[in-house]
Amino acid sequence: MSTQPAMINRYRWYELISIYAGIFLFLTFILAPFVEGFLVSLKPLGLLFTSPYKFWPENGSFAAYRTMWVSVPGFARYIFNSFFISIIVTAIVLILVVPASYAFARFTFRGSGLLLGAFLAVNMFSGAVLLIPLFRLMRTFGVLNTYFAMIVPGVAFLIPSAIWLLRTYMMRIPRELDEAAFVDGASHFYTLRRVILPIAMPGITVVAITTFIGSYAQQFIFALTFNSKTEYMPLPVGLFAYFGRQEVIWNELMAASFVGITPAIIVIFFLQRYLVSGLTAGAVKQ
Amino acid sequence: MGQLNLNKVQKFYGTFEVLKSIELEVRNGEFVVFVGPSGCGKSTLLRMIAGLDETSSGDIVIDGKRVNDLPPVKRGIAMVFQSYALYPHMTVFENIAFPLRVEKMPEDKLKAKVENAARILHLDQRLQQKPGLLSGGQRQRVAIGRAIVREPKIFLFDEPLSNLDAALRADMRIELAKLHKQLKATMIYVTHDQVEAMTMADRIVVLNAGEISQTGAPLELYHKPANMFVAGFIGNPRMNMLPVTCKAVSDAGVEIEFKGQPATIPVNGRADLVGQPLTLGIRPEHIQFGEADLSMNLTPSVIERLGAQTVAYASLDGESENFCAMLPGSAPIRTDETVPIGIGAADCHLFDASGIALERRVALTDINVGLLKIAGG
Repeated sequence: MSTQPAMINRYRWYELISIYAGIFLFLTFILAPFVEGFLVSLKPLGLLFTSPYKFWPENGSFAAYRTMWVSVPGFARYIFNSFFISIIVTAIVLILVVPASYAFARFTFRGSGLLLGAFLAVNMFSGAVLLIPLFRLMRTFGVLNTYFAMIVPGVAFLIPSAIWLLRTYMMRIPRELDEAAFVDGASHFYTLRRVILPIAMPGITVVAITTFIGSYAQQFIFALTFNSKTEYMPLPVGLFAYFGRQEVIWNELMAASFVGITPAIIVIFFLQRYLVSGLTAGAVKQ
Repeated sequence: MGQLNLNKVQKFYGTFEVLKSIELEVRNGEFVVFVGPSGCGKSTLLRMIAGLDETSSGDIVIDGKRVNDLPPVKRGIAMVFQSYALYPHMTVFENIAFPLRVEKMPEDKLKAKVENAARILHLDQRLQQKPGLLSGGQRQRVAIGRAIVREPKIFLFDEPLSNLDAALRADMRIELAKLHKQLKATMIYVTHDQVEAMTMADRIVVLNAGEISQTGAPLELYHKPANMFVAGFIGNPRMNMLPVTCKAVSDAGVEIEFKGQPATIPVNGRADLVGQPLTLGIRPEHIQFGEADLSMNLTPSVIERLGAQTVAYASLDGESENFCAMLPGSAPIRTDETVPIGIGAADCHLFDASGIALERRVALTDINVGLLKIAGG
């Protein structure tokens, strides 16, 4: 017997070549900035402005990864702030979104379609459009220059897409499981906690990851507008500290960027372990 | 203990009447099967008894108490779902223990109950596994176990065997019948499979288009169907229906004419039927070779040989409707070759123009097998 793949997975040589060429092309587009960023972080600052430009760092070193902590002493704090804000935003979003998606997935109530539509509509506004009204609101409440000012808008803008994501996932959980629990005397919250939550774990993980990334990405604009205190600055704003009066310390900036996203990558790496498919196997006959 | 009464129970979806004034009494300890074609409302009726669907009007009474507004758990029912509805992230033990955990039963008592249920259902060895590792039959037994531990007054089964393959279904049928004997609980069972209904039920409720067509013991429905629907639904292959004319009504029965042949069918007739068109029903298994009270020619177009029987499908004397004959053993018939067949008058059913059966005179032993003398006894 041959060990050939199944008929549906077999390709001709020219098909294989074009598939890999395509993959290579797209990966180049996606990864080139990262590669170049990393190479820049290895070069001494003087080498960055040579002409003709050299991509390969000739006497490269990891010196920038050391000096970056010295030239911007608060950098560790910025990483912590970013991480802290994103974690809190993710936690709040999950606490609010899990019961909400369950309700949207299972109960029929007046206005549920309208509400879902409204969530989608809100999603179409980018946060930037609402910055000015939000700023005035924050000022009225006197919460400018606090973590609160960066967390609350983040939560608000991430909830709609999270509800849509999780609702779709929960609708795939067979309704008979709810009914069986109801027949056995379980309340809605008991059912949610003991039955739905464990089964929806892969969906919740996806929502957690997208929310965490979303929060990481959008905190720049909120931090820039609603916060002027250095000690509360998150990473994306903190990177501006490398923009000196005379020159930009590019190599340290790049090193700082890589160091800054490391915690997020670690979190996502651990979360994705819970993305187990087929967790519902055996629930119902399919 | 586990008595159920349905008084004029109705169900509307919008303006569509799904169930039309259902009246039914289920005695304690009875195994009642709701059977009917899909869309007849049998599952809806079960879900209403369970408390999963609202009742539009009428009363559902369990042990003399109106339960319409009570949640399922307060009604004293337990339900087994068609799709098993097991919790995939919990072990078999936790699945069975779920209703007891909801009640917050103490751990030692809970453990004893779950283990007892597992023993009854032969799941002792599987308690620490997850449902994903079990076969279809085992999953269904876990679902039944979850129902047993609560010790409900009434068990409700919603087509529990329809997802199993044929061999397993036959095994589970026997296990369920044993379980009923063992628990002596009231069971209500919904199925579209008339074999399940015939084999397990103390009493069958045949539903058609939201109405009870007939209620009775399995053999009563077989020998004395009340109308053409029940006659066609109970029995496999289905009963053949032939148009006849009523000639006379006497003490001996109803005299009919089928294609020029006269015959007297032993049923209770009415004088006003004379001259009316009637429908004669004959089950395929009651058709015999050669001449009988009514004779005809059969030209099979398709023959199915099952070993114990031979089933022939034919158009009878040029008529378009499929006529079916079930002959014993390997019957000497061939497709497109005409053979003479006959029907005994005593085997026939007669239905009037509105489809209502004229009562057959059948031996009581045919309906109540309890009256049969045991051989050698």
